[in-house]
Amino acid sequence: MSDVLRIENLGHSYGKFKVIEDISLSIGKGEMSALIGPNGAGKTTFYNAISGHFPPTKGKVFLNGEEITGLTSHKVVDKGMCRSFQITNIFSELTVLENVIAPLIIQRGKHFKIYGNIFKDKQIVDSAMQTLEQVGLSDRADQVVANLAYGDKRLVEMAIVLARKPSVVLLDEPTAGMNPEETENMIALIKKLATGSGTTFFITEHDMKVVFSLAEKIYVLHQGHLLAQGSPEQIRSNEQVQEAYLGRKVHA
Amino acid sequence: MEIFLLNTLNGLSWGMLLFLIAVGLTTVFGVLGVLNFAHGSLFMLGAYLCMQTMQFFDSFWLGLLIGPLCAVVVGLLIEKYLLKKVYDRDVSYQLLLTFAVLLILDDAVRMIWGSGYHVVEPPEILSGIVAIAGQDYPVYRLFLILIGPVIGGLLWAFFHYTKWGKIIRAASFDNIMAEGVGINVPLIYTSVFALGTWLAAVGGALAAPQQSLIPSMGEKIIIESFIVVVVGGMGSFPGAFVGALLLGLLESFGTVFAGRMQMAIPYILLAVILLVKPNGLFRKGV
Amino acid sequence: MKLLRNRWFGPAVLTVLLLLAPLLISTYSTMILSEILIMGLMAISFNLLLGYTGLLSFGQGAFFGLGGYCAALMLQAGYQNLFLLLLVGMLISLLAALVVGFFSVRLDEIFFAMITLGFGMLFFSVAHNWLDVTGGSDGLPVFVLPSLNLFGTELTFYDPLNMYYLVFSIVLVGVVLLWLIVHSPFGLILKAMRENKQRVSFVGGNVQLLRIVAFAISGAFTGLAGVLFCLFNSMATPEFMHWSFSAKPVIMSIIGGTGVFLGPLFGAGIFFLLEQVIILFTENWMLFLGIVLVPIVIFFPQGVFGTLRNKIFREGAK
Repeated sequence: MSDVLRIENLGHSYGKFKVIEDISLSIGKGEMSALIGPNGAGKTTFYNAISGHFPPTKGKVFLNGEEITGLTSHKVVDKGMCRSFQITNIFSELTVLENVIAPLIIQRGKHFKIYGNIFKDKQIVDSAMQTLEQVGLSDRADQVVANLAYGDKRLVEMAIVLARKPSVVLLDEPTAGMNPEETENMIALIKKLATGSGTTFFITEHDMKVVFSLAEKIYVLHQGHLLAQGSPEQIRSNEQVQEAYLGRKVHA
Repeated sequence: MEIFLLNTLNGLSWGMLLFLIAVGLTTVFGVLGVLNFAHGSLFMLGAYLCMQTMQFFDSFWLGLLIGPLCAVVVGLLIEKYLLKKVYDRDVSYQLLLTFAVLLILDDAVRMIWGSGYHVVEPPEILSGIVAIAGQDYPVYRLFLILIGPVIGGLLWAFFHYTKWGKIIRAASFDNIMAEGVGINVPLIYTSVFALGTWLAAVGGALAAPQQSLIPSMGEKIIIESFIVVVVGGMGSFPGAFVGALLLGLLESFGTVFAGRMQMAIPYILLAVILLVKPNGLFRKGV
Repeated sequence: MKLLRNRWFGPAVLTVLLLLAPLLISTYSTMILSEILIMGLMAISFNLLLGYTGLLSFGQGAFFGLGGYCAALMLQAGYQNLFLLLLVGMLISLLAALVVGFFSVRLDEIFFAMITLGFGMLFFSVAHNWLDVTGGSDGLPVFVLPSLNLFGTELTFYDPLNMYYLVFSIVLVGVVLLWLIVHSPFGLILKAMRENKQRVSFVGGNVQLLRIVAFAISGAFTGLAGVLFCLFNSMATPEFMHWSFSAKPVIMSIIGGTGVFLGPLFGAGIFFLLEQVIILFTENWMLFLGIVLVPIVIFFPQGVFGTLRNKIFREGAK
């Protein structure tokens, strides 16, 4: 039972149309894995089905040995899995600090406390500042997020996801829309966060450079099925995978 | 049995009027994304302008033709000078702006025509009564029951068989797509608002011989039209039809089985539908 | 200018002005000021939903009316304790808001506005037609107002001046409580939901439950305003529950500015001042209200007070 995240025969369909089918995988503690696949392979559906966006129509999901299949999103977070989104998903009109404090308020069960000043709670503020330090935003804690540059907004989302110190972090295309420099920084950041923290990272990416420079293990999704899994070298040399990707290039 | 028949007829004639008003409201919402609080006032304006033109020409039919067209001019001004400025704003601002237009129109009509009742006689050919189920029944209501589907059918044909109708339907699905394929979106917005205004005003003109004209007649009908539009599914044409008939019949039969609490029926219908089908009867979830 | 930027300066001046105002203005104006304060409390409670949680409720009149009817019924039944009236009025409104909220909060935007409008009108229909209890369209009159024993002096509220200070004290308490709520951890989560409810859900917040609580709190304080208005008006009528009454806090909040805590109170002041000025020279006050509202909605996206305040504070701190 050393698997942090285990998925058994997961499937999701809309009516007769099966978006993903029969996906099984298990990820160990502290691993850094990636899910790749051409557009429309079902990556986002897979993420949504395991993170509580909607319940999957088939299969089971276990987090730290406990079944979380079909739990609503906020309960999945309570169990220790937190995710980011392809399109930046943050609290625009709040400050950077407030963005990180909100998840902490909820984690400590203070979200129904209707009196008191949360900024005087040293534990929470320290914890939030520590997370901001990790992603490199501590000097901008008091700025309103809407005024930040795009790359920094992505960092804010990263900080929101990390704030509660989840055991599993799902990142949906963390470098989407970033320029090369911002992408470099994001890769470096994820590497730094992963080393020695014991946090399990599971990312989706379409940028192969990002995937191969980050992941220890890669899962390939193709037309809703798990086509292959293995180390970056194994995936690189896998003919089926090449075909799937090359095939797509020819058609596109 | 007689009571059943009479209530059905009453419900249908009221439902058809509601349909004309709601279909304009729902089309405007579908394309412009604005729920127009002043839609009922345009209905009221249509009734008054019909009455006024009738007095000029001494013909209900000319009133029915010209009155609503005058209301369309007012509608065009509202769209061009007011609504245009809030398309990208929050719902609350759109509601409040159209609410302000409602206040202005209602009070302006009160200033021009006074706050008292006005009566419009139906045209001679429709003014009689016929015996139905042993009761005298006004011919004009039967006329309303017929005219509703006629206008509805024409509108449906317009949306499905003409280029403009198809463009409007496309725009109501996806504005950006419409812009992408080179459709003039601002022009569509203006035309759709004009169409919505015309439908409301025709509803008002048709309602004029059936109910007394007072400046507050729009305020009463706007809430019921909201309910029809939400129950049917916002932006849905068939939804407006089914919703309007459903509400018309429920209210008509409500006088029989609910007594004084008949007044609560539309709101109960609204609450029940929104809870069971949050997107309304004819709108698929996003 | 430096003093102006101190966050406590404005509220302090306002409190002092409101305390002294009745000594400087006519009895009639004092009564208008009482009404402004009551409607201001209603508008600030409403803005807890619109400005802080991002929910446009178009049925707040229901809770205002419930508070009013509660007070009128209790007074008719002989309950004279002022604090009991205020407490029960708040409690009943809170319970009703819990029920309405439970059914409504799963909807958003215009759908939320419509279902709350529907529920509000449902309450209106009941108040309008349940003759035995509510007196129907005539409403429920109040003949005997409660009195208050303050340090051995028996205070009655038939005098508009005493009524004003009663209203002022209760509204002050209500507004301070709402201020504390807005600046609490719960308040921060409300703002987060306004910005992005999906995100709140994906950091572990139960959005539905949080919204229900916000709706109930708003309803309770709206009910408190309703009790006060019933005392002030010596009457509870179904009109309190009508959608056109529910539109008032919407108008006031948007005039004043939904992004500023005291904006709606300011909006209530502008609303009544406008009314007083306009009825001096015309009967058609609605027409002119409409004409004034149009440019406010179009040109003051943060409301009059909000726009002015942002000019002073430069950055639009929330």
